[in-house]
Amino acid sequence: MLITQAVIDGILVGGFYALMAAGLTLVFGVMDIVNFAQGALVVLGAYLSYALSVHLNIDPFLSLFITVPATALLGVAIYWVLIKPIKRDRVVMSLLVMFAVATLIEGILDYVFKSNLVQIHASYINKSYNLGKLNFPAIYVYAFLLSIGLLGGLYLLIYRSNFGRSLRASMQNPVAARLVGINTDRVSAITLGIGIGLAAAGGMVFGTTNAFNAASSYDLISRLLVIVILGGFGSVSGALVAALLMLVIQDVVAVTWSPLWGQTTFYMVLVVVLLLRPQGLFGRKAVRAQ
Amino acid sequence: MTAINAPASYDVPRTARFGSLAVVAAALVLFPIVFSNPAVTSVGVFAMIYLMSVTGWNIFSGYSGYIALGHAVFFGIGQYSSALLTNHLKIPPGWDLFALLPVAGAIAGLAAIPIGFVLLRVRKHTFIVLTIAVMFIFQLLAFNLRSWTGGSQGLQMPFPTWTGSYFNEPFYYMGLLVSAIALTTSWWVRRSKFGLGLLAIRDDEDRARSLGIHTTRTKLIAFVISAVFVGAAGAIYAPFVGSVFPQFAFDPSFDLALAVMAFTGGLGTLVGPALGALVIGSLQQYFLLQFGGANTFLIAYGLLFILILRLLPEGVVPSVTGRWRQWVVYRERSHSPAPPGTGTPPEVGRRRDVALEQGRPA
Amino acid sequence: MKLVPSSRHTDRRYLGRRRAAAFAAGTVALALVASACSSSGSKSSGSTGSNSSKPITIGVSVSLSGDFSADGLATEQGYQTWAAYQNAHGGILGHQIKMKFLSDGSSPTQVVTNYQKLITVDKVDFVLGPYSTLLTRPASVIANRYQYVMLEGIGGGPSVFQSGLKNVFDVSASATFQMITFAKWLAANSSPQPVAYATMDDPFIKPTTDGARDYLTQHGFPSAVYKVYPLETTDFTPIASSIVASGAKIVVLGTMPPDGYAFIQSFIQKHFNPQMLIEASGPDQGSSFVKAVGAKNTEALMVPNTWYPGSTFFQNSDMVAQYLKMFGGKAENISADVAEAFSAGQVLTQGLTHNNSLSNPTLQNYLHSDVTFQSVQGPVKFAADGENAGATPYVFQWQKGKPVPVLPLGIADAKPIETNRPNWGTTTGS
Repeated sequence: MLITQAVIDGILVGGFYALMAAGLTLVFGVMDIVNFAQGALVVLGAYLSYALSVHLNIDPFLSLFITVPATALLGVAIYWVLIKPIKRDRVVMSLLVMFAVATLIEGILDYVFKSNLVQIHASYINKSYNLGKLNFPAIYVYAFLLSIGLLGGLYLLIYRSNFGRSLRASMQNPVAARLVGINTDRVSAITLGIGIGLAAAGGMVFGTTNAFNAASSYDLISRLLVIVILGGFGSVSGALVAALLMLVIQDVVAVTWSPLWGQTTFYMVLVVVLLLRPQGLFGRKAVRAQ
Repeated sequence: MTAINAPASYDVPRTARFGSLAVVAAALVLFPIVFSNPAVTSVGVFAMIYLMSVTGWNIFSGYSGYIALGHAVFFGIGQYSSALLTNHLKIPPGWDLFALLPVAGAIAGLAAIPIGFVLLRVRKHTFIVLTIAVMFIFQLLAFNLRSWTGGSQGLQMPFPTWTGSYFNEPFYYMGLLVSAIALTTSWWVRRSKFGLGLLAIRDDEDRARSLGIHTTRTKLIAFVISAVFVGAAGAIYAPFVGSVFPQFAFDPSFDLALAVMAFTGGLGTLVGPALGALVIGSLQQYFLLQFGGANTFLIAYGLLFILILRLLPEGVVPSVTGRWRQWVVYRERSHSPAPPGTGTPPEVGRRRDVALEQGRPA
Repeated sequence: MKLVPSSRHTDRRYLGRRRAAAFAAGTVALALVASACSSSGSKSSGSTGSNSSKPITIGVSVSLSGDFSADGLATEQGYQTWAAYQNAHGGILGHQIKMKFLSDGSSPTQVVTNYQKLITVDKVDFVLGPYSTLLTRPASVIANRYQYVMLEGIGGGPSVFQSGLKNVFDVSASATFQMITFAKWLAANSSPQPVAYATMDDPFIKPTTDGARDYLTQHGFPSAVYKVYPLETTDFTPIASSIVASGAKIVVLGTMPPDGYAFIQSFIQKHFNPQMLIEASGPDQGSSFVKAVGAKNTEALMVPNTWYPGSTFFQNSDMVAQYLKMFGGKAENISADVAEAFSAGQVLTQGLTHNNSLSNPTLQNYLHSDVTFQSVQGPVKFAADGENAGATPYVFQWQKGKPVPVLPLGIADAKPIETNRPNWGTTTGS
């Protein structure tokens, strides 16, 4: 029973990690950018929802209608101002640029909100649903539903829309995509916007389930990167599977053995998987020539 | 000889290079004598620790183009080796501690073989992220393997009973010595056929392989060499600070610091990363001393970093040498305009170009 | 402001993280650093002679940026409060006190440089401790090198005391003693029964839980479950599930405030009703705590603490008045960091005054001589390793919406322990 409960906990929490990681992996798939600022942007999203709930009394889930578009615009701006001018060594340079962006965001958040840990409050924070002996905290259930909804929307966008076709073309072969008249810059800018918007949505959930401050981004980014590698760079479904796997392994090891070994065990699994499949679970085999 | 056959003439002149090298070397040797204050030499010791680390790191990451963000693994292994050996072998704190430098370096180098074997199976982008993951695995292990590492309580080391006014100098000069060895190694690698293989991997790994370079072996050897110097740096850091804690031994900020120093100075050049280490390594302590109270610190730092990346995207050293060459070319052209189609100067200022010139076999 | 700084000297976050940001990409060179350091040295390098009009300078490195910045600020305020109070009461041996603060960005390398600068460049007469176990240990090594006494109130992890340093003195209750008061009371008043433990893996927090666990195990209380979780844990539901499944009625948690809230939220969600729940930190956070878990859920929860605003110990009311005069706010929002820093200053005052000497070695010998000092946290007496052997931490319990002291039983305003906990068996709203 304890293990079943741990699996359920892992799946519920894994859902919103998938949400945050999906943005990261999508951005990488389209433009080879390791968005090191994703963690900081998640925290930014959390703070925005926090500020809206404290000052305007807006429910955190409703605040997404404001925070997601706002951060998506920020993503588009980051692309045009900072990423597009990069001419050479795109992967590494963009990593450093995004690191600088992360530092800047962290600095601003630290300045505005101070370093005290805060948590977003909602009326349903202590509620839970019971099914037999199993227990489902309400906030995690809502967050999971939100994640599944947004990931489903993302799936439709990628595979069922014109924009999605351009996006997939840019992913598969940017040069050819440009030749057939796709404005790859526009696609990239929008993709970064979507990726960062998803980070903000994840941030709201992170902020309601965790106490956080500006420095929380470092825990997040290392976990998100690990999810993305395990799932395979560029694969949204890979990110979902990897996120669920990570949290389930962690939680099951925590209850059966020790929380200290939960994360270590997951990392071990990661190394073994990568020894067998260097491209990750769902990654593309072909490796881009530099 | 026309310009195109003698690319060296576009380099900064040899005498200028060696002259400045001699001046910098003398300055570094004399530094603790001139500025003998312990507060200053303490900054110097940390600068040396970064100097040797980033030079080692650059031998692998700079030359091969594989940006490793996990060399704190070796920094931590060096620290724990130093602390465990000192405590278990009951090494008297004093000069004997420095006998552990090569040992800690060797242990880090040995550890780098299996780690490198796992990491180097993946290509550049995945590699970057995987190195971060491996760093966290080691940090978690340091927390979890209590009987070895003391877990979160850390390991405490005995400290030399040298007086305060003298204490920092031995650490500084040992750091300088190892840094000199690291720079010499880096210089040698750069000029060797092995180094040329690394540069070829950086430029196009698949082509390098098709040209008959054992890419995996070449990368692994460079990875091990870099680990040795970073490990030795850990063995200077641990007895200097006197304690080893998991979060400072396996510290993600150490990885970022190396990358930032190397990029600011000039990734893949010989002296660029070293310059980055000396300037940034000492300035961070200085700035904190002067302006640490202000919490606008991170904002200023982020903005400055973005600015540097935009203005000097290749780092200080390549940008400066590139400007120098542009100036030489400009001067030559204005003196004796070459007929069109001949004597076109090589593309200047490009890192790839610098690599090809300086990477030619000895 | 209802932002209550964490009142625990723990090392919640990786120091490392912010430290990355400390690498200011600048343009000035090493020599500039050197000349700047030494020039500031020549400015303040007076003699340390005992001319009685000359102020006593006291140096401290505080974490004003980085992961400990909230606590670092409270630490600095505590020292400032002490200096201002003492100066208004004649200083020390007729000398005015002049504090010299340097910022360390929560980084141990900076602490190493800072204490060397304080001692050799600023030529301070005495040093006091920085914030946290992780930083106190390197700072003590430096102080030891220059035969300076390291009096500190906020670095009580065993790592500090286990290295044979003779110059370290912690005026607060060290980690292993934090929950001892509770453990002793439980062992004396209850028949042995299983206890559930969970603790963060931190050089200060974990020993607090281990201290209670060792004592209770010796007195026949078995451990129903004992989970150590890493610092960066964000999801506490599986650990809470393990505790619930263990069936223990007494729960001891080594938490930082956010973890403390998260565990209580999880227990409420899981309708778990322990008879007794004590957390190392969380319920000591006043209004933040109430907001996080809901007012009616706070009843009967317990937390140990070394100090509280209403304490009647030595100079406590003076300290509270002085603090409010200087920094404003409300007495109940004063961080325990302030009291811990203030206590270090109090012991320094008493030591120097008694010896009638400004010598560090004389002070060190005196502190080692089994003397009892008075502080806002109660009596202080140092064991051979520098721990405060005389410390008896309080236990507070939430009763009718307010934390009140309940243990040790002898203290003046102790209330009886309340055992009537609210029922978390039904789903609770806000």
